[in-house]
Amino acid sequence: MSEIMIEVRNLTKTFKGLTAVSNVSLTADQGCITGMIGPNGAGKSTTFNMICGFYPPTSGQILYRGKDITGRRADEFADMGIARTFQIMKPLGNLTVLDNVASSAFFGRHKAKSLREAREIAARTLEFTGMFDKRNVLAREMGTPDQKRLEMARALATKPDMLFLDEVMAGLNPTETEEAIALIRRINEGGVTIFLIEHIMRAVVSLCEKVVVLHHGEKIAEGTPQQVMNDPYVMEVYLGKKKEDAHAEG
Amino acid sequence: MKTTFEKRRALALGLLILLILLLPQFIRKMPYIINVFIVAFYMTTMSMAWNLLGGMTGQNSIGHACFMGLGAYTSALLITNYGWNPWATFPVAILITALVTGMVFSQCFILRGPYFTLVTIAFAECVRQVILNSDFAGKAVGVSLPYVKGNNWAMFAFKDKVIWYYIALVMMVCVYLIMKRIDNSKLGFALKTIREDEDVAAAIGIRPLRYKVIAVVISGCVSAVAGVFYASYYRYIDPDIMLQSASVEMVLPAIIGGSAFVEGPLVGGILMVSLSEYLRNTFGAILPGINLILYAVVLIVVIRFRPTGILGWYHHSRFKAFLEEKVLGKVPGEDDIARQINRGGDAK
Repeated sequence: MSEIMIEVRNLTKTFKGLTAVSNVSLTADQGCITGMIGPNGAGKSTTFNMICGFYPPTSGQILYRGKDITGRRADEFADMGIARTFQIMKPLGNLTVLDNVASSAFFGRHKAKSLREAREIAARTLEFTGMFDKRNVLAREMGTPDQKRLEMARALATKPDMLFLDEVMAGLNPTETEEAIALIRRINEGGVTIFLIEHIMRAVVSLCEKVVVLHHGEKIAEGTPQQVMNDPYVMEVYLGKKKEDAHAEG
Repeated sequence: MKTTFEKRRALALGLLILLILLLPQFIRKMPYIINVFIVAFYMTTMSMAWNLLGGMTGQNSIGHACFMGLGAYTSALLITNYGWNPWATFPVAILITALVTGMVFSQCFILRGPYFTLVTIAFAECVRQVILNSDFAGKAVGVSLPYVKGNNWAMFAFKDKVIWYYIALVMMVCVYLIMKRIDNSKLGFALKTIREDEDVAAAIGIRPLRYKVIAVVISGCVSAVAGVFYASYYRYIDPDIMLQSASVEMVLPAIIGGSAFVEGPLVGGILMVSLSEYLRNTFGAILPGINLILYAVVLIVVIRFRPTGILGWYHHSRFKAFLEEKVLGKVPGEDDIARQINRGGDAK
């Protein structure tokens, strides 16, 4: 029985009366890849940002390895071994790719002592993510696929146990998506627990052992990708009602 | 093993240092020219202090004249009112400036971008008004330091401008070395990450507030040292040294030189001060004020066409490629960072 890394209990977030997330509970098991899917505006990113400490939840609890971490500052998470990427890429534009990652190596859990040590860790991380050739490019001069990969490299360089990925495959072509899937699998094989938000179902199906579906801020289904995709309510949310039902109503 | 490029670069740097060190011997008879250099070194020091906060951390301040003024006033008042030795006022001036800036700005960093800049302007003006209205600090009359005869090391006062030249030079070089060290350190990376994106900084374990306060305190300390130097060199200070225009003057060298680079204020400071003095000398007599207009035109042209500053242009210019490959003998594709890492890899 593997340990539960992240447990979320009855998480709720309201923005001035608008409930973005209501009563969501979920768990992510150690060593697994857990996915979160849902239509646009379902509250995925809000949930994600609450778990990573960027939004304070209105109510509810977040537990990491059984310890309550609700309300902790976002910058305390890296030391606990939690790293995240951003959906809208945030490269450190005026630094080289190598220094983008070196910055993580100075902080995070590597705590590099010198610039050389930080850059060596960064170089190793870049080799692992397949970006070593681009190490001297300024981050802002790269295209979307590379910036997405840089997001992952930067998160990895903090040496996390738990990695949160926010739509790292959005905007990639099929080949790049395959590469990203392979990379995520490699990261997971290195012992990192992964929690990801993704729209590309092919990626979710091939990666995730467990999927959580959100709709209108509520959890509507949970289970293996196959179970979830055959759930009638999930199908309705994604594809609309079946024709005969629509006729009956109309 | 050193490459030709590294050897020649070291040689060029050595020659430059030698020139700067020997320069006063050639212009010993021209106190005005020496004074221009002293002012340039001092402005460069202030600009580097600004650059730590503005260029490296991305928190633009237009209140650095006030940081400098706090140091200058602390020192001048201790000397005149309490008879302290000027050297002893250095630590006190640094401490007071660090405390004031640290306490005030730790509360203000919640503001971002232009709002933070507005606070720095307001802060500087508040301090200036307090000094302008306090009898203790000499009100608008200012503070004159006691007259010291000849060259007196113990009293930090020199008749000979050449000595001031070397003191200002040492101050500037020390601050440059400190800034260079910070740039390549953990602290520097934290500051640069915060400049680029505070959310990313938080996500990789940097607490933005903490590092911004560290930056403003270091910047304040350096400004205080420059302030003590200023008071002792001019032997007279008044509240006008904290005017906003003085703060802007300290920002310009960094922006013109290239605020993303530690060397930016160095290049900008020397160029801008010499330019301003040259214009004043040459054109000031023809039509009063024309020198300022020309100065402004140069500023606008540089900022319009080279927004990343002189160094920002230089690092991507053909001039640099020419200089490095033809004059310094660099092998194309020679890559400092890559070599550093490969070396590190071999050691294991």
